[in-house]
Amino acid sequence: MEAILTRHLDPAKPLGLEAYRAAGGYRSLAAAFDLKPEAIIRTVEAANLRGRGGAGFSCGLKWRFRGLDAPRPRYLVCNLDESEPGTFKDRHLLYGGPHQILEAVIVAAYALQVERAIIFIRGEYAHGAARLTLALAEAKAAGLVGANIDGSGFDLKIEIHLSAGRYICGEETALLNALEGRRPNPRHKPPRPSVKGLWGQPTTTNNVETLVNVPHILLNGADWFCGLGVNGGCGPKLYGVSGKVHQPGLFERPMGTTARELIFNHGGGLAEGRTLLGFLPGGASTAFLLPEHLDMPMDFDPVARAGSRLGTGGIIVLDDASCPVAIALNLMRFFARESCGFCTPCRDGLPYLEQILAAIHAGEGRAEDLPLLEELCDKIAPQSFCAFAPGAIMPLTSSLHCFREHYEQHIATGRCPFDAANEGGA
Amino acid sequence: MITLQELERHLAQLAPDHPERRAAVVPAMQALQAERGHLDDAAVAEVAQLTGQSTTEVEELATFYSLIYRRPVGRHVLQICDSACCSMRGADRLLASAEKTSDVSMGEVTSDGTLSVLPSICLGLCDRAPAALIDGEALGPLDEAALEALLRRLRGKG
Repeated sequence: MEAILTRHLDPAKPLGLEAYRAAGGYRSLAAAFDLKPEAIIRTVEAANLRGRGGAGFSCGLKWRFRGLDAPRPRYLVCNLDESEPGTFKDRHLLYGGPHQILEAVIVAAYALQVERAIIFIRGEYAHGAARLTLALAEAKAAGLVGANIDGSGFDLKIEIHLSAGRYICGEETALLNALEGRRPNPRHKPPRPSVKGLWGQPTTTNNVETLVNVPHILLNGADWFCGLGVNGGCGPKLYGVSGKVHQPGLFERPMGTTARELIFNHGGGLAEGRTLLGFLPGGASTAFLLPEHLDMPMDFDPVARAGSRLGTGGIIVLDDASCPVAIALNLMRFFARESCGFCTPCRDGLPYLEQILAAIHAGEGRAEDLPLLEELCDKIAPQSFCAFAPGAIMPLTSSLHCFREHYEQHIATGRCPFDAANEGGA
Repeated sequence: MITLQELERHLAQLAPDHPERRAAVVPAMQALQAERGHLDDAAVAEVAQLTGQSTTEVEELATFYSLIYRRPVGRHVLQICDSACCSMRGADRLLASAEKTSDVSMGEVTSDGTLSVLPSICLGLCDRAPAALIDGEALGPLDEAALEALLRRLRGKG
């Protein structure tokens, strides 16, 4: 597959406005302005573009559900708060191609008929946000953002919000609270943000990778887009491969590419003499998969059928020198630290899980700890307020299932068998 | 150091994007921190006044956000990722090495005021693991030798 989303990315020095236009950039604006907004939404729906932030919900449906008669003002939020361990695709888009993001935001804003779009960027990407700020100034000066864009009669303000840390801000409703200057706790749904979002107004939030597909869909059509996928997938996908592989990296491949191809061809496979223990298919808050899943298409439905989630498509690879208890502990420490603290099951439950895992990894586990972990997982996930705790539980319950003998061995021998192994731990 | 007047001007520039004063609280905290290195008690009060909130409300946010520092940090801030991918590729050794070389524990400022080392959640640099940010600039893959050389250089230059 030829590169679509990564074609003009340059991590060292992204294309300025002139160079980006010379490479065909911003052509989708004219194509969009020739169409009625509902026609664009229909095309995006037909293209089966599914949300790349992790949920996999149809982008076109999300836009249609907001309704073209929604009260004004309406907002579009481009979610670039990427903080999911194992995920770095949005960083490549931001640092390597800021104009591509702006083009996508303008087209999406036109389709949704919003007057204000906000690009929400995690604080750790401040240097990337600076690049986007420069690109935005160029676009404004060229009349691509602002009043009556390219003579279309469409007005749009784009604002860049540089956040200040914390994983939870990427959750759609926590993000809205952050933008309002409130503590970024997730909000209760309903009302859905499409009805009552930012400052109580209809708000649509899309991940940045989802949005950058839209200009290409408009220029080339829904059938072309679907044709790019393999094994039933639609469009290109930015897959990450990291962890215990030779060549960690970002790979733009057809949606539906198998995990085997991604890990062994693109990621360069494992170190000499190592074998695959398992992998997380799409970031920290997904369930572990095993070598038997290698030939599964890395697409939303097949991964869900295997009991996990495609998530962000950021694959984290474990080899047989990786201690699965140490990894589970590292992940739980992350989630315990990043809990917003609003609801008790999450705020108190995740540190409890972390504590038990730490004891097991340190060789101080008891036989009854394994059923206790499982019982806690069963109770914490359904009792918590938002999707954060269920996401935190997913890798642990699957780790307990997939790698149980490792937990039992830690408990039985009173030590971590990987401690001596170089870089085995987490 | 940024003055209250300068901050007001800064916020006035932001105003078209932040018609609700409260929404400017994060950019206001960032602006003051950029000038002063961290958000001291006076800065919390200034942000509260400018955004029409109580100091308690601002404090709640200042202590929530990991990149808002309520205590002094060094002139250089090194954030070392301790999440899954970096951890599998040697982050623990980097964290230990940074503490040893800088001679202070995580979160403290070196005696000469040049450096703070902070642990960080996933920096989105898993393809460059083990990774870190020095003053916002990405580093990785890092080994202990490269990290120690960097720390010596930063402290040498101040």
